[in-house]
Amino acid sequence: MRMSINKFMKGVQSFASIYRRNKSGLLGLAILLFFIFTAIFAPILAPYNPYKRVDRPLIAPSQKYILGTNDIGQDIFSELIYGTRVSLTIGFMAAVFTVIIGTLIGVVSGFLGGAVDEVLMRFTDVIMILPSIPLMILLMALFGKQSFMIMILVLSIMGWTGTARLVRSSTLSIKERMYVEAAKAIGAGDRHIITKHILPNVSPLIMATMIYQVAGAMMSEAGLAFLGLGDPSHKSWGMILHYAETSGGWYANMGYPAWWWIIPPGLCVALTVASLVLIGQAMEEIINPRLRRR
Amino acid sequence: MAYIAKRTASRIITFAVVISLLFFLARSAGTDPFERYLSEDPRIPPEQIQRLRAKFGLDKPLHMQYLDFVRNTLNGEFGYSLYYKRPVFDVVMERLPYTIFLLGISITVSTIVSYVVGIYFAYKRGTRVDIWGTNICMFIRSTPHFWLGMILLLVFAYYIPIFPLFGALTPGVKHENTYDFLKDLLFHYTLPLTTLIVRQIGMYVLYMRNSTVEVLGEDYMVTAKAKGVPKRSIMFKHAARNAMLPMVTVTAIRFGFMVNGAILTETVFSLPGTGRLIYQAIMNDDFFLLQGAFFIIAITVLLANLVADILCAWLDPRIKI
Repeated sequence: MRMSINKFMKGVQSFASIYRRNKSGLLGLAILLFFIFTAIFAPILAPYNPYKRVDRPLIAPSQKYILGTNDIGQDIFSELIYGTRVSLTIGFMAAVFTVIIGTLIGVVSGFLGGAVDEVLMRFTDVIMILPSIPLMILLMALFGKQSFMIMILVLSIMGWTGTARLVRSSTLSIKERMYVEAAKAIGAGDRHIITKHILPNVSPLIMATMIYQVAGAMMSEAGLAFLGLGDPSHKSWGMILHYAETSGGWYANMGYPAWWWIIPPGLCVALTVASLVLIGQAMEEIINPRLRRR
Repeated sequence: MAYIAKRTASRIITFAVVISLLFFLARSAGTDPFERYLSEDPRIPPEQIQRLRAKFGLDKPLHMQYLDFVRNTLNGEFGYSLYYKRPVFDVVMERLPYTIFLLGISITVSTIVSYVVGIYFAYKRGTRVDIWGTNICMFIRSTPHFWLGMILLLVFAYYIPIFPLFGALTPGVKHENTYDFLKDLLFHYTLPLTTLIVRQIGMYVLYMRNSTVEVLGEDYMVTAKAKGVPKRSIMFKHAARNAMLPMVTVTAIRFGFMVNGAILTETVFSLPGTGRLIYQAIMNDDFFLLQGAFFIIAITVLLANLVADILCAWLDPRIKI
């Protein structure tokens, strides 16, 4: 047990020492940590309750309201801070489920091969080609209620295809390696080979994919929330933009449209997604040394 | 050709499985339309609801309902829109050309531009142009489609009122000829097209650049360099050609993704396409319209994919075997 902890710590150390050399990776990590910090300390950082009216509608940014107020007089800065919590939680939770489903399907497909592989990969293929947003909307409509957990569920049901393919192809190559052959020769069962050889070897890849999956899930969530499928009791960044869109301010021409209502939420989504992509790229470079030389 | 036929057949079967799964999910999730829309209304007696269910075949056993569903889907019967009070098929088909117009132009332009720019960045790799360019592209590809659209609307339709705020055509104007019609349409579609094209370019430039850089590392490129082929001709004769195939493949895979973008963009710009239709269906709780719109869009995407497959086979002789 102690040995494995030591080994793990050594792995983390060598990972960190390579990661430290990647400037854009560090920038991504800094941005992401900033948002995670905001999400954790939201109740301390937010000056007002984002679900309560605090003042007149559509006040331009001022000292009292850093990013002004929306059409029903809620403080947008507080909405944004609490929105960080919702958007990040949905993104990370959906990514975890996505990766679990994807790994399961990928390993089974790659390890068993044959007809199972054929069927699973055809299925993956079609899900990948179909436009995900209409399908997710349909699923959400089927589940009926709009809630936080259903959003995560639907994002996970639709998101696993990429992970499954990656895990499958790397399972295929690991399966052919000498030590797996050796394990088979001394009579190791499938379960032993999967848990002791295949999963440990695909796990670095899974970690990198998961980071990209968080980005993908956050992007899809923003889209669905913008189309009005978010949970009204958990306002995410996408939902703030949904309310900005549906308030009909575009045509009213009375001091609308409020730039302070539209620019910040989208910028937050873009920054978070970009930071995740930067982290993912840095991790990929560590896992796949061929990329490092470029 | 046998390859494509096999692939298409397997896709059709899988798609049939997917929609069948959706059907059973719909029935088991309790989204019986009469339960959903009428049972909460106290003015309608339960017997009336029962009679309506019998009339629409909802009292039959599940497998019979499934057979009805298959028959109707094959006949293009997707039911009635609860909001428009018209067959779903007609409503969706009216809107489809607008979406295909939006997608067709944006895919063509963004593919060509990112092809050229991607090769240029690969040619200039490691220089300031490349580093700044790829970083900007990475930021653009991280922005949500609809937000990009909203920003364009804010700047070029509101603060600097050059382009219209909404719609596909000027309301109330009768177009004398096709030229006038197209001019008006393009004028209204400038910002939506820009949104989709810019977003798509952000994505494909990176892809094209990386696949070109990969090709540049191949042995035959080293050979070409060693025997003294000029750099320019290496780039455009060898690298550009070989990096084209992954580009076509990725365009095919990403087709569904572009439909997502079109849905969001149409919503922001209030265009009369299928995307906006889906948004309205959500707002009006119009389940049948949602379902029918999904089916028709999915079939269109699968067809577009078939075309891309054929194009790929034509470009890459290795596939024909």
